[in-house]
Amino acid sequence: MTDLLTLENTAIVCDSTSDAPGGFFDRDGLYMVPLKVHFGDETFRDGVDMTYQEFFARLEASEVLPTTSQPTAGEFTTVYKEARARYEHVFSLHISGEMSGTVRSAEQAAEQFDNVHVYDLRTVTTALSLATERLRARLEVGCTLDEAQAYLRHFADHSSLLIHAATLEYLRRGGRIGRAASLVGGVFDIKPLITKQDGTLVGYAKVRGLKKAMAAMERFVEENSKPDDELYFCIIDAVNDVEPSLIREMIERHRPNSHFAFQGHVGAVVGTHIGPGTAAFAMIAE
Amino acid sequence: MIVRNAAIGVIQSALAAVEDERQYINDLNVYPVPDGDTGTNLALTVRAVVEELEQSELTNIPSVAAAVTKGSLMGARGNSGVILSQIVRGICEVWGQADSLDTAVFKRAVTEGQAAAYRAVKEPVEGTMLTVIREMATAAQGVPDSLGLEHLLAAVEEAGRVAVENTTAQLPALQKAGVVDAGGYGLLVLFRGLAAGIEDLMRGGRVAVGARLAGRAVGEMVGGALSGVRTAAGGSRRVTVDELSELSAFRYCTSFLITGQAIDREALEAFVLPLGDSALVVGDEGTVKVHVHVNDPGAVLSEALKYGAISDVEINDMHAQTRQRDERLGPTSAPEIGEGGAVVVAVVAGEGNRQLFRDLGCHAIVDGGQSMNPSAAQLLAAVEELGVQEVVVLPNNGNVILTAEQAAGMSSLNIAVVPSRSIPSGLAAMIAFDPAEDAVGNARLMQDAIVDVRYAEVTHAVRDSELDGVEVRQGQAMGIVDGRLVAAADDIGTAFSGVLEEFARGDAEYITVLTALNGSGTTRETLEELAARVAPDAEVSFHEGGQPLYPILASAE
Repeated sequence: MTDLLTLENTAIVCDSTSDAPGGFFDRDGLYMVPLKVHFGDETFRDGVDMTYQEFFARLEASEVLPTTSQPTAGEFTTVYKEARARYEHVFSLHISGEMSGTVRSAEQAAEQFDNVHVYDLRTVTTALSLATERLRARLEVGCTLDEAQAYLRHFADHSSLLIHAATLEYLRRGGRIGRAASLVGGVFDIKPLITKQDGTLVGYAKVRGLKKAMAAMERFVEENSKPDDELYFCIIDAVNDVEPSLIREMIERHRPNSHFAFQGHVGAVVGTHIGPGTAAFAMIAE
Repeated sequence: MIVRNAAIGVIQSALAAVEDERQYINDLNVYPVPDGDTGTNLALTVRAVVEELEQSELTNIPSVAAAVTKGSLMGARGNSGVILSQIVRGICEVWGQADSLDTAVFKRAVTEGQAAAYRAVKEPVEGTMLTVIREMATAAQGVPDSLGLEHLLAAVEEAGRVAVENTTAQLPALQKAGVVDAGGYGLLVLFRGLAAGIEDLMRGGRVAVGARLAGRAVGEMVGGALSGVRTAAGGSRRVTVDELSELSAFRYCTSFLITGQAIDREALEAFVLPLGDSALVVGDEGTVKVHVHVNDPGAVLSEALKYGAISDVEINDMHAQTRQRDERLGPTSAPEIGEGGAVVVAVVAGEGNRQLFRDLGCHAIVDGGQSMNPSAAQLLAAVEELGVQEVVVLPNNGNVILTAEQAAGMSSLNIAVVPSRSIPSGLAAMIAFDPAEDAVGNARLMQDAIVDVRYAEVTHAVRDSELDGVEVRQGQAMGIVDGRLVAAADDIGTAFSGVLEEFARGDAEYITVLTALNGSGTTRETLEELAARVAPDAEVSFHEGGQPLYPILASAE
């Protein structure tokens, strides 16, 4: 059987830690399941009830750090049911299981359905929306189930992510710091660069100043891709408007065959753990 | 020479005991002013005695006793040091007239030591080293002359130990802080070292080893018995400060030596007493040591000039010392030490700078500064205090690099010295520190981090001169980059501009500025404007460093 997967018969579900740009999930065949953010007694659905600007304004004003929680299996069930009613296949792409229990809720819900394929992409934030975008590009022209699955495995293994965080305070307070713990952040104007490794966040470098940060990012691009790679990348920012354009310019200069996909914003859940003043980029060679 | 060498051996044993406990004694110091320097003062006072003896070639007891008295008076540091010098003087007066040191002589000596100390202090307070020496002397009187010296030493030591423990209840300031009196404890440590030295001498054995053991033993005895002196894992005791200490009414601890002829000690004492507190004016017609806490050290020095030549002037800002002690002993979350990873010991001057080093994960800080470079022994003590095998030392001063390397050579620990020549370079090195790496690995990372860092300082010229082709007049501000004079000007700002221009010529991307601008005639805002104008392509980061003598320290990367 050579069933071709297309936009007509295949849906993609992602979670809100994908920090996608506005309108990203409004397109047909794309679904987003929100995680939740709790400020004291108040609960908000990430990416649904609050804009990212509102979230950061509130984060800075709040004395207590918000907490976050994963979607329930029931919430995934509802979305899968809706998606499967219209589409034959569903790909459900998620934040690393080392960082959140989201993917376990998804797997639990998926057991009730045929053809719901759940992936732990071993990464977080904009890398998830990049994976969604690149899978969607394959569906646009049509691909086999094997090809789609192979691509997602390739993505989980080979995509890279670099986060330039203003401080480690939020990561530390949230207990999500992993091996990034050895970095000093926020003190003496040091901004840590954090990457992902084995599904968790780890320190990449400690830098002071934008120029040093850009130099370290260049090094990261050199180390994680080859000069002639067909490199797809996207950028996110959180209340930081200088850096994203510099990052884009830097990657395009170093990788002539690169393709800028989009620029998103850090959402409430990732923002709770990484904090304001963050910029990040994700890339995948295809 | 036998008497001299024996005396040196015994006093060195006492010195070793105090050196071992110096930092702990500093930490205990809350009375009369919590300036945290009692251990240092006692150690320096005793060291002066050893040095005085080492320079002499004396052969008989009277001359050795006189040298001990002189050394302790000349070298006396701080309140406790001066009181100690009087105890020593009393003891030596008796010993100097005896032809040996037996139980009867020692009893009289320690009693005279006590009497001399009480004579020096105009308003004796109970719960201090005075109480401790008195209890020791009283206990000595209870020992029959027929018993051997070792029995006397044991009885005196035991009385001292009890007296030290009781100080907490005797003085409200000690009770509040939950500590024993620093001077009293220091005296006990000193005595124990001395006694061990004497006992070793009587047995014909070596002195230094016994002293170290004795010092530790006394620490455990007293420390373990006290509330508020927490016994942490590994047997190290730690004094903690929960709230900011009250600042003393008189700010400057002032001490100096007057040498002259027929000095009217009592007249000078009468002048000094009303000016402040903790006044001690001691010595003889030829040499007088003055120690007093005052707000106007100048007034005391001016008056003293009428009596003779002054020397060894030392003025300490006790408010700053008190805050430093608060800072050192305050609630902190000490950085964790990684498994097999290294710790960092840095030599730093300035409270703001010390805080930056701590924030960056530095484990121990040794006070430094142009005029107070630490000795190899002090560095080593700070290193060994941590009890970690892998250690990186940041000297942060060209003059300390060699000392640090000496300290490394003296230790069996793996100590790597990163040759940081300035505080901002040291901070740049600190950023590269990786707690999971060992000393050598970190030294490589940290050295790489500073190899391209340029450092600068702005300070005032102490004399007219011409350096590197630039003419400087005394009092002018000098801008120095990588040890080379680049600018001289009448104001700090212009000199700093010269530094910035030099940095900008080197395409500096990131400039760090550590300020200590109090009384410098310029403000941080002014300097920030200058930086934006002169080095527009660089990011500039300002921090309050608080270092002495240098209104500005800077680095460029």
